[in-house]
Amino acid sequence: MTGTSVHPKEKKAASGAPSSPLRRHFRRYWQLYVMMLIPLAYFLLFKYVPLFGNILAFRRFRPGMGPFGTDWVGFAYFERFMQDPAFWRAFRNTLVLSISNIAINFPIPIIFALLLNEVRNGWFRKFVQTVSYMPRFISTVVVIAILGELLSPSSGLINRILVNMFGIDPIYFMNEPAYFRPIYILSETWQFTGWTAIIYLAAITGINRELFEAADIDGATRLQKIRYVTIPSIMSTIMVMLILNVGSLLSLGFEKVLLMYTPSNAMVSDIIDTLVYRTGLVSQNYSYATAIGLFSGVIGVILVSATNWISRKSTGESIY
Amino acid sequence: MNSRRVKRITVLDVVVHLIMVFVVLVCIVPFIYMLALSLSSPSAIMNNQVSLIPVGFNLNAYKQIFTYPNFFRAYGNTIFYTSAGTFISLVMTSVFAYAMSKRFLIGHKIVMKLIVFSMFFSGGLIPTYLLISSLKLTGTVWAMLVPFAISQFNLIILINFFRAVPSEIEEAAIIDGLDYFGILRRVIIPLSTPALATIGLYTAVFFWNDWFNGLIYLNTDQHPVMLFLRNIVNGTTMVGDGAGSADRSTIAMSVKSAVIITSTLPIIILYPILQRFFVAGLTVGSVKG
Repeated sequence: MTGTSVHPKEKKAASGAPSSPLRRHFRRYWQLYVMMLIPLAYFLLFKYVPLFGNILAFRRFRPGMGPFGTDWVGFAYFERFMQDPAFWRAFRNTLVLSISNIAINFPIPIIFALLLNEVRNGWFRKFVQTVSYMPRFISTVVVIAILGELLSPSSGLINRILVNMFGIDPIYFMNEPAYFRPIYILSETWQFTGWTAIIYLAAITGINRELFEAADIDGATRLQKIRYVTIPSIMSTIMVMLILNVGSLLSLGFEKVLLMYTPSNAMVSDIIDTLVYRTGLVSQNYSYATAIGLFSGVIGVILVSATNWISRKSTGESIY
Repeated sequence: MNSRRVKRITVLDVVVHLIMVFVVLVCIVPFIYMLALSLSSPSAIMNNQVSLIPVGFNLNAYKQIFTYPNFFRAYGNTIFYTSAGTFISLVMTSVFAYAMSKRFLIGHKIVMKLIVFSMFFSGGLIPTYLLISSLKLTGTVWAMLVPFAISQFNLIILINFFRAVPSEIEEAAIIDGLDYFGILRRVIIPLSTPALATIGLYTAVFFWNDWFNGLIYLNTDQHPVMLFLRNIVNGTTMVGDGAGSADRSTIAMSVKSAVIITSTLPIIILYPILQRFFVAGLTVGSVKG
């Protein structure tokens, strides 16, 4: 790359005294360093200071005394939330929701990509693909608002069909604890299947054509080709995606859960992040909430590292 | 993809095509339903006559929401946050990425590690909130714009993109007498419009849809339209006026649908035109190794 041979506006060294390489370096490139200043300062301020702000989990917060708290209390807040049934309920809800979500929404984009790849008409395939990832750009607020209308007990389309065609009593879907997880998971399916499938489709188009031709020669059917050529060829992509998914096990769609939360379904809808939000921002127990958040974050890091390590050992694929 | 034309239609073809038609319908029908609701008369809604086609077609709901100062203001807020936020983000990210694209700078490795590290370890909700409030940014528009100005993901995409610019182009510019600021402005940026467009669009969508930051940092008259919609849906804000409670809820329904449609309308309209940028960006920063 450039740098050593050409430089802008070199001042002719007037005097005979040689300047140090360091000074020459800065004289040539000072503008680049200036360019870095503000963004770097911003970056350190908003990305790293909050990291240190987690120290609040070990200190008592007093209003007006800064975001880092005052006296040390050690693990007092950790002990407190460990004994709080609300925490364990949220922890359990997070795990159940997250694992169910992965169980459903991890395979579906893969299947969708495989099927979409089998559509022979290029125009139709492009059209389906384009329509399918449009929902990803719709705000979660809009998604939940639309769901609220569709599932409304009094006037929603779904309930009207249920009542008129099947004679079932209307169900207040958005309030019932039993429907919370299915609604969450299926709305995630709606929003992200098409989008996630793009990655798999890109991987599929990267497969060497000769493999398929060889399979043709061997007389493979289309389904057999999918099973023996396509899927093994994109396995590395699948594994990387799996690592990413499992690694973010504890960080669910917090905004969506918050929007879906009602007192009636609280027993299943409260997850770790909403608990942090409520105890921290609503009730203003900042230190307590920070402790929970820190705990959850550390577990997340362990999860990513563990799944990365396991994947590297077993399949050779890893993120780092 | 077969190069020879196989005209035989198999069961697999039929099944696959049916599934794809289903997928397309599922993606589109919710919006058609909302649109129908927003264009129907309240009595038709109350009588459950509306499915996918408006009954008693009228534009009252839309006329009504534009008379609500709160809605109007919220929409203007969103437009402001989206444009200002995207602009600030693009400027900051481009400048940072250009400087970071030069590997010979001192401290380059450390800063790179800092960037990547922060992608995995983020501060968390409470520490970020406390930081922003202790900086006295709450209740100002800056709370919406500044904290999310640089996304590490976009930054790394741009850094790699800038590194791919041939050095001869920069050297020619230097010979022509440009300094690094000039190179960035007149050479690099024009060459990078695809990448910048992609990043800009992602950022714009993020800002347009953001409501949570508005919830925790802003006062009511600074709310973006998505937060306004959320408040309508969970009843914090009442819209519509009617004599009895039944009237209130059914007027609210066509009005609610109108708010839903208008708030996400720019995205729906612009999406078909701009969607190729979104895909291009995804494969530029591809996950696949």
